[in-house]
Amino acid sequence: MQTAVEVKSFGKRFKKTIAVEDVSLTIQSGEIYGLIGPDGAGKSTLMQAVSGVLRFEKGEITVFGEKIDSEASANRIKRQLGFMPQGLGLNLYPDLSIDENIDFFANLRGVAPEILHTRKAKLLDVAGLSSFKNRAMKNLSGGMKQKLGLVCTLIHQPRLLILDEPTTGVDPVSRRDFWEMLNQLVREEGMTALISTAYMDEASRFNRLSMMHQGKVLDQGTADEIIRRTPGWLIEIESARSRELLPALNDAFEHVEELGDMIRIGGFALQSAEAERRLGMILQDGTESWSYSPIGLEEIFIQKLDNRSQNTPQMRLTENRSSHRKEAVSTDSQDTLIRAEDLVRRFDSFTAVDQVSFDVRAGEIFGLLGANGAGKSTVIKMLTGILPPSGGAGFVAGHNMATSSMSIKESIGYMSQAFSLYLDLTVSENIDLFGRIYGLSGKRLKERHQWVLQIGHLQKECNTSAGSLPMGKRQRLALGCALIHQPKVLFLDEPTSGVDPIGRREFWRILVQLAGELQVAILVTTHYMLEAEHCNRLALMQAGKVVAYDSPKNLKATLKQQKGQVLSLKVSRPYQAQSILESNGYSEVALYGSRVRLFSQEPETVGKDVAALLADKGIEITDVMILQPSLEDVFIEKIESSHSREA
Amino acid sequence: MSILWWRRIFALTQKELLQFSRDLILVLATLYFFTGEVFIGGKGVSFDLINAPMGYMDHDQSLSSREWLNKLRQPYFDMKGQVTDEKQAQYLLDEGLLLGVLDIPENFERNLLNGVSTSIGFQLDASNVILGNLADSYVGLANAHSNQEWMLSRLKVVSPDQMQVPAIEARQIILYNPDGKSSWFMSISEMMTVLSMLSLFLTAAILVKEKERGTIEQLSIAPLTPFQILLPKILAVQMILLSGIAMSLFLIVIPVFEVPFQGEYWLFFLVSAVYIYAMSGLGIFIATISKNLAQVMIVSILLIMPIVLLSGAFTPPEAMPEWEQPLIQLSPLYYYINMGFGIILKGNDLSLIWQDLLSLFAIGSVLFLFGIWLFHRQFER
Amino acid sequence: MMNLHTVKTLAYKEWLEIWRDRVYFSMAFIFPVVMMLVLGFGLSFDVEKMPFVIVDYDNSDESREYSYKFTSSRYFDYKGHARSTKETETLVAKADIRFVLVIPPEFSQKIKRGQRAQIQALIDGMFTYRASMVSGYLAAINGHYNAQLMRSWAMKNSGMTEHEVQAMLSPVSLETRYLYNNELKSIWSTGTGLIILVMLVSPAMLAALGVVREKETGSIFNIYASTVSRAEFITGKLLPYVLISYINISILCLLALWIFEAPFKGELSLLLVANLFYVASAAAIGILVSTFVKSQAAAALISMLGTMIPGIMYSGLMMPVESMSAEAVVEAHAFPAMYQLEIIWGAFLKGQGWSELWFNILILFGFVLLFWSLAILRFHKRVDE
Repeated sequence: MQTAVEVKSFGKRFKKTIAVEDVSLTIQSGEIYGLIGPDGAGKSTLMQAVSGVLRFEKGEITVFGEKIDSEASANRIKRQLGFMPQGLGLNLYPDLSIDENIDFFANLRGVAPEILHTRKAKLLDVAGLSSFKNRAMKNLSGGMKQKLGLVCTLIHQPRLLILDEPTTGVDPVSRRDFWEMLNQLVREEGMTALISTAYMDEASRFNRLSMMHQGKVLDQGTADEIIRRTPGWLIEIESARSRELLPALNDAFEHVEELGDMIRIGGFALQSAEAERRLGMILQDGTESWSYSPIGLEEIFIQKLDNRSQNTPQMRLTENRSSHRKEAVSTDSQDTLIRAEDLVRRFDSFTAVDQVSFDVRAGEIFGLLGANGAGKSTVIKMLTGILPPSGGAGFVAGHNMATSSMSIKESIGYMSQAFSLYLDLTVSENIDLFGRIYGLSGKRLKERHQWVLQIGHLQKECNTSAGSLPMGKRQRLALGCALIHQPKVLFLDEPTSGVDPIGRREFWRILVQLAGELQVAILVTTHYMLEAEHCNRLALMQAGKVVAYDSPKNLKATLKQQKGQVLSLKVSRPYQAQSILESNGYSEVALYGSRVRLFSQEPETVGKDVAALLADKGIEITDVMILQPSLEDVFIEKIESSHSREA
Repeated sequence: MSILWWRRIFALTQKELLQFSRDLILVLATLYFFTGEVFIGGKGVSFDLINAPMGYMDHDQSLSSREWLNKLRQPYFDMKGQVTDEKQAQYLLDEGLLLGVLDIPENFERNLLNGVSTSIGFQLDASNVILGNLADSYVGLANAHSNQEWMLSRLKVVSPDQMQVPAIEARQIILYNPDGKSSWFMSISEMMTVLSMLSLFLTAAILVKEKERGTIEQLSIAPLTPFQILLPKILAVQMILLSGIAMSLFLIVIPVFEVPFQGEYWLFFLVSAVYIYAMSGLGIFIATISKNLAQVMIVSILLIMPIVLLSGAFTPPEAMPEWEQPLIQLSPLYYYINMGFGIILKGNDLSLIWQDLLSLFAIGSVLFLFGIWLFHRQFER
Repeated sequence: MMNLHTVKTLAYKEWLEIWRDRVYFSMAFIFPVVMMLVLGFGLSFDVEKMPFVIVDYDNSDESREYSYKFTSSRYFDYKGHARSTKETETLVAKADIRFVLVIPPEFSQKIKRGQRAQIQALIDGMFTYRASMVSGYLAAINGHYNAQLMRSWAMKNSGMTEHEVQAMLSPVSLETRYLYNNELKSIWSTGTGLIILVMLVSPAMLAALGVVREKETGSIFNIYASTVSRAEFITGKLLPYVLISYINISILCLLALWIFEAPFKGELSLLLVANLFYVASAAAIGILVSTFVKSQAAAALISMLGTMIPGIMYSGLMMPVESMSAEAVVEAHAFPAMYQLEIIWGAFLKGQGWSELWFNILILFGFVLLFWSLAILRFHKRVDE
């Protein structure tokens, strides 16, 4: 195999901050190579440097044998390159139609008119955009924008495709379609692709990948290799009394996560036998069942970071437990604190929210999931009383949102995607400001101030400006500010976007404690499907409607009944394997890097059939796994069935 | 309005001031505008005739003709010398090398001595009207002066007072600025223009920054009314700009340009505060219709130009075309200019300006309420 | 080095974007027209209709005759009589009137006796330029009246003929010819002169925003990552803004002719060429600014201040270049505005053509080339951040 891209000890700094340090990697031609990591990992910097649009000081980058060290040498490879920068559709021209956008990119790249015609037709067809050719780009959905971006990047048949976070913020179905389209084109045209993502669950889509954090590579290789290299275990415990077990588990294990009715514990240094012994002691008289579960990249990422940064100490939320206990007792945990009844919101002719109903009880974490533009924020805006609904009703903490929005505002905490902090103010100034806005003063303000510093582990940073805090700390500060007046209801609008997995995990641990110890009702929106697992119950929104509404466990169980389990096979020639299976009547065969994946009610028997079929064609199977359907599978199923109902 | 209400206002005002002080560029820009810009305004463009280049065609070459030409002197005129002929004169005027050319006919002196009227031709480049007007007026005055001297010498009297001839002596008293220093007018007027620009822009910028960052959402979800959100911003802008005005006055206008401050300081600051209040209402309006800082700037400039130009800052109301007259009454700056100059140069007190002050307050309140209303409405979209 | 097809593609896309963005598009055309009209009508230097009152302590036929000279003048706007000087103080203080004519009690008696009488003129000195104009007009009217007085007195007492008296009283009369603007209408010169200010600011700002907008959204990466050359990009970006600005400057010239009723005496072909080079140089300034800044706010601010200040202060619009300080003269020559002002005033008011102004055209073209190449040199497809 030929080398398409070679990066040798690459480094780049912006003024004082080091963006990337000492990164080396090699991309073979024909492979889909992934850069995976949270915001600020240096993915974009690396991709821009490879694309020849960013100058750099350290290291060497060679693309198709051309060393990129000047504007002139960069220009020489640009003909063979397709680059899509970060931000959904941001490199497209909103006022131009799909057709005009494509033509512009084609003309820019000097695509001959006769080639352009057939190429455009083909790409539009693959993307499913043929019937929207004259629609202005700004009127497209997120998924369509993403596909159009890909079409524009591909119009001149580049040999190397560089896509910066192409799947961020799109719905699960569009995400799946995107990967299918990409796989098809890479296969047919023999392209090489370098793709970045912040979603750890996309790791299996790549042939090989580099896991990055704060400008450094944590590990490299195939996803399987990375997982195999890291010793460790993961146990999932199903329990109805998970909140009671938590303290003991937290004392016994490094990594404990509460996911609704499930607790996930993990360990890397600790031997699994010792773990089983400790677990047995904690669960001694219980009826809980537990099982080992495969370790994901997210756990490995966290483990690798834990070796570097100090683990934040576990703490209690209540400085004065007894007084809060009383409050907790006085509120019946079955109290409904948020209720939406057939909420509708129209903007001119467009219905952003269409008959949305759900309720959230005290002590519950409720997830509102969906892609960007699905209507999540609009629901929150209506419930918090800043946007009047076009129809339906809503109640928050016992107040009707139509009539007493001021009382609602006093009893809720709110934190939005951008972490509405004043970045030019210091941590303390931010806390005091929000405290005073919510009417605190004197001793009470001082107490709450301390409390916020404590839950955010921000004691050392009180005089740092909020803008210079890392994202994770900024997020905890914003959460603290939202909680300064001890609200019973908490609205969190995309609270984790841009935060690394460690920060996210820490954040969720605080949320679980808030719900558990203080009986706060929490409504959280997110487009990270992995986070859905943390919620007690959730509602999935698609185009303004709720298409799924239940607990994660039930949702998965229902899907398992409907479609069975997931059969995942690692094969030697995945593209070929996929088409063989499809032509032999297997439906929904998906490609995940070097694996093919399909649903089956009887995975064991089907697995044998498939293995025989593939072996017959000379395809080697190196690994077979039978997996439970994930929430992402559930969402894809739900969204598609809602589409088919409409059609 | 409870203590809690005020406490919230106080906390938010303090926040605005803190934020302003942390924005180094904004602080420096504000400092510059109130000092440097006012200084340049006072020094820079002047509506005075200084060293206007003049040429002459002296066809007489006599003592009288030279004497006449000598009347046109510095600092108004700069006599460049003899121009050979009509063609050269035309060329020099066309090229803008001369502002005017004087043509003294042959027999000038003889005619004078013989008591025959004669005339001097004066070609004047009037493409710049201010200079044209001034040059015309000064040459006219010089000629009148020369005529009078001539007449007196003919009548053999040394001073007009000895003469038993009926004549009217117009004694001119230039009030408020006896030496006609245009730097007084320009520096004060620049200070007011700067204040207008900043009161509009700062208010809008502070608001739109919250919009851009998304913090406005946090505020609107907090138990605050739109008025409670806006008032602290207006208060902060007031404090910043009133300090700016004080800086302008006490660092530039008074010490550098020696403008005598005739009126009461407190009254001037009160009037300024009311003016800032009016303009900040417009600022809120701008912030509501703009998405980002760039739009704020463009809209501010589009709005500030008519406000400044229709105010009488450059052109007094009476010189405006008929149809513009009623519009002037709508420009908050018109009242501010009137009152401001009145207080600073004329020493006007409250009894003289209360009507203007009330009008300004009324206009301000309409703008402010309109701003609040729009601001409130934008969340419903 | 430049592929015309690529330039066309870039320019066409830019044009489509401007055209589709109705707000931006209308701003592009409304902004100059509004600026032109407001400034044109607002910046009037005509000194007419100065409001004044008369305090006539004499109240005689003579005093009324004298007053009439003022009340009938088009320069003054008679607002009535006041009984005492005291009464007028408030009026001047409130800026309701700009000057007060005070005729003392013994005015008519002194004149009848053949003595010198004094009148007093209290002039509001706030607007210095206007105060000096009032003072000039006043002296002229007074002088005129004096001449009349003396003429009749001399004819009565010395038996001279009217002609002889005239020769003695004003032996030299001044015959002023107002060149280029024979009615001394300020709107002719400011109206036409404003074209250079407006069409400096607006193309620069539009073009600067156009490029920075792409930087902000990230679509500039399409250019960075493509094979488009720097010259192609800059030229493609520039063309639509030159086109729009050329339409604008043509509209403004028509406004000057129709609304401000300025004459056009020069050569049209010269103006058409000069306009093109001028707006191209202004737009190129905008593109040049955009290579330095990252945000739209900074682009708007810098392109506006960077063009407005030289446009007003160092173009000759407000103050002729001759009366500027040495540094200001240098600055004036280093900017296209001054040359275009000479062309505009030359073509509209002075009736000049190619023979007089060809060099200015050459300089303007030089500015286009200069700013264009600077922008190309400054623009990099491989950036630092």
